[in-house]
Formats: sequence, structure tokens, C-alpha cells
Amino acid sequence: MIEFFHVSKSYHGRPALQDVSLTIEKGEFVFLTGSSGAGKTTLLRLIFCADAPDEGQILVNGRNLLHLKKSAVPLLRRTMGFVFQDFRLLPKKTVFENVALALKVGGVPEGVLRVKTTETLGALGLGHKVNALPLTLSAGEQQRVCLARAIVNDPQVLLADEPTGNLDAELSGEILDLMKAVNARGTTVLLATHNRDLWRRVRRRVVRLEQGRVVEDGCPEV
Amino acid sequence: MSRSVTRFRYLLGEAADNIKANRTTTVLAVATTTFTMLGMGVFLLLYLNAQEALGSLKEEIKVVVYLRDSVPSREIAQLRSDLSRDPAVAAVEFVSREQALAAFRTQFPSEERLLNGLGDNPFPASLVVKVGPAHRSSEQVGGLVQKLKALAEVDEVLYSQDWIDNLAVAVRYLRVLGMGIGVVLAASMVTILANTIKLTLYARREEIEILKLIGATTGFIKMPFVLEGALLGGAGAACSLLLLRGLFGLAESKLALKGTFWGVGRGLAFLPDRVTVAFLLLGVMLGCLGSLVSLIQFRDARS
Repeated sequence: MIEFFHVSKSYHGRPALQDVSLTIEKGEFVFLTGSSGAGKTTLLRLIFCADAPDEGQILVNGRNLLHLKKSAVPLLRRTMGFVFQDFRLLPKKTVFENVALALKVGGVPEGVLRVKTTETLGALGLGHKVNALPLTLSAGEQQRVCLARAIVNDPQVLLADEPTGNLDAELSGEILDLMKAVNARGTTVLLATHNRDLWRRVRRRVVRLEQGRVVEDGCPEV
Repeated sequence: MSRSVTRFRYLLGEAADNIKANRTTTVLAVATTTFTMLGMGVFLLLYLNAQEALGSLKEEIKVVVYLRDSVPSREIAQLRSDLSRDPAVAAVEFVSREQALAAFRTQFPSEERLLNGLGDNPFPASLVVKVGPAHRSSEQVGGLVQKLKALAEVDEVLYSQDWIDNLAVAVRYLRVLGMGIGVVLAASMVTILANTIKLTLYARREEIEILKLIGATTGFIKMPFVLEGALLGGAGAACSLLLLRGLFGLAESKLALKGTFWGVGRGLAFLPDRVTVAFLLLGVMLGCLGSLVSLIQFRDARS
């Protein structure tokens, strides 16, 4: 599904990733951990082509991202969903419009768009908030809207960068449960977090990065 | 079809949202565009009317051949017949001395006393020669005039060619000047609109990043801004046309410009329909161009 071969990346001469080799199988749920600046976000950015590696190769669904044309990047991103710590919702659009936008960019017809958006919002417990603006919602609700936008087009991969960074323990557990449910439907999940409590709650593969290198990869004892 | 309609509706809605979100900037941009395009419109109106007048004048090119009083009428008839066969001549009209006198009295009734002082009819008989459309260049008309002057029956030959040639040169200068000013005004309009769109782009940069992340194509992201430029340019062009029409009507009524233009043509006319449509399209195109310039600058600034 996602393969890294000796990937390195530097920003302004400072290494962010160093010789990273990694394979994530289809349907896996992987925690990406490490302290701030360990290279978690860089690794995610390379997967969705926000940056290109300085060295090495990255394959997503068998496609080498190094050889991907610029015009094909949007199509690749439509097979992925993204969840961010700061939610990145459009403040002037309603919850419904924010989620539907992920389908709209793909040219999904209006009728299908309405059904899928309503279903997804309903499944995440946001059915009563469709017309609300994001800033009127709680942090937990905003993160659920962000998750709804990420999964509404049934992505093959869900990339989450510190999705619980702004949430308390209870809400973090809620978001984690929702991601597990998404994973159970067959979506590969790659969750970057420095929160140990999160990956200790569930028995899943953990890849730990330190100073841009993979220092641990496996399923820790709970 | 349904997908395209859904997408276009969304993109148009986004463009409208951009405009609504920046009302003050939009109003200023449309106002500036209006006055810029009004400048272009004034020149276009002047040029088209001058060209129309020139065309009418060229159609009216006449050579007036004044005959000696001593020429008998059968020689005049012969001369008229000879001239009619000349390929450069489209028509020949004979104006007798009496007809010339009557015409003067009709045109200048207040100058009757002038005639009384002159005694007998002072007007000579003449032949009014209309030049054929294919023989209206300066050289051709000059050649015809020389030929006419050499005839024994002819006293004097008058024609309006020099004046028409001078007007043609003036119209050419007007066109070059108009084009120069048009290019400068168009460039300023593109710059104004580019800066307006740039403000929207910076205001929505976070949104653009999000759209990129969720898989929006470059076209999907850029289109609302191009449409915004097109709407602003089109609105500016429409407002300038309304203003121009108002000013034209005012000039017509206050400056008494109705009737023929310097005695020729059909008088001053407003822009024809096809030119009006082209003018609106020019506004839309310049608006799109302004958007594209700002999108390129925005991309370069962020790369």
C-alpha cells in the first residue's frame, strides 16, 4: 500500500527524515510516534506529495510518487483522507458544505453528494449540526467534521496528523474509536501522534521516529 | 452534464462569495474599471464616427467643372457625353447658370443684396462630375482634374480631394492615438483587477491550501478567481457603456450634434450593437487576464 525505500528529506540543510524504509500494508492501522520534530509530519507530507524526497523512492498503491505528474497529484489525494490537529475547516461554510466539498472537487453529482454527506455526518453523530458553522462547534465536534470530510469519499488511506492534539482524553478516545471504525471498513490508517496514551489504548503497530530515523517498528506490549 | 452544471454552479457561487466578501474593494475596482473603459469607449466612439464621416465624404467626391460663358449648349452636351464615357466618371450632372443662381438664392436668402450689386447673373454654368469608386485615390482624381483643366471649354475646376485626404490622415492619427491610449488604459485595468483579485487570493490562501489537500485540481481552485475577474471586468464594461450612452445623449441634446456630421453622412451615431457586444467581451477578457496575472504572481510568491 505505502512503501518507503531509503527516503531522506532535509529542510534548509536540516535533516527531517534520514534513510527511512517502511512498508504499510493495505488495511493496517499504524501509529507514527516520536517527539516534536522527529519527522512524523514530514513523512505524512511526502505521502500526499506536499513535498518530494531528496533521496529514495515512495510507492503508494504501486505508483512511484517520484514519477507522478503534477496533474495527477489531485487524483492521488482524492484516494486519501486527511485529519489535522487544527481541523482546517472553512469557517464561512457550514458543516455540510465543508464535508461535501471533498466530493465536489471530484465532480460527484449533486444527488449522490447529498446522500453521502448526510450519511457520513449522521454516522459521526453530527446529523443535527449540518447547518452550523465550524466555529460554533466544540473542538471534539470540529474534529469529527474534519474526520467526516476525510472519509466521505471512502478513501483508501486516512492520514491523521496529531488529530487529538487539541482534545482532552475523553474526546481523544472518541476520535480514536471512530478511526478504528474507519479502519475496520478496510481503510488504511496512519496516525501521527506524540501522545503515548493513545497508542497504548489499542494494540496496533507503532513506528517510532527519532531525529528523522525509524528507531522502533512493531506492536508494543499493552 | 449534471456534473458540469453542479461544478459550474459551485464555481460561480464561489466567485460571487469572493465579490460579496470584499464589497468595498469590488466597488472600487468596478468604479475604476468603469472610468478606464469609459476612456476607451470615448476614443472608440470618436474614431468610428470619424471613419464613418470619412467613408461618406469619399462617396461624395465631386469635381466641379466651371464652363466658360461663351461655350454653346451643343458643345456642353458633347462634353457631358464625352465625360460620361470616361471610366473614372460615375455620373455627370449639368448645372445651368440659372440653376446655380436659384441654388444660391435658396441656400443664402439673406445675401440677396449681394446679387443686386453684381447686376446680371454672375454664376457660370458647370458640370458636376462624380468620381467612380475605383478611381478615388489622390493620384487618380488629380489626373482627371488635369485632363479637365486642359479642355478649351473649361474655365476652372474645383474639387475636395485635398481636404478629404487630410481628414483621412487625421483619422489614421486618431486610430493610432486611440490604440496607444487603449493599450495603456487596458494595461491599467488589468493591473487594477489583478490587485483586486490578489487581495481575495491572500484572504483565501488557507482555503486554497485546504482545497489542494482534498484533491481539487488547479482549474477547480483557479476558476472562481477567473470568474470573479470576468464579472468585475464585465460589470465595469457595462457601467462604462451606460455612462457613455448617457454622455452621448447629453452631447446630442445640449451641443445640438443631431443631423449630419459636417454636412455629410448620417450624423453622429452611438456604438453599433456588434461593437457594444465586443466592448463588453473586451471587459470580460481583460478581467480574466487580470485574474490570471494575479494567479501567476500568487503562485510565484508561494513557490
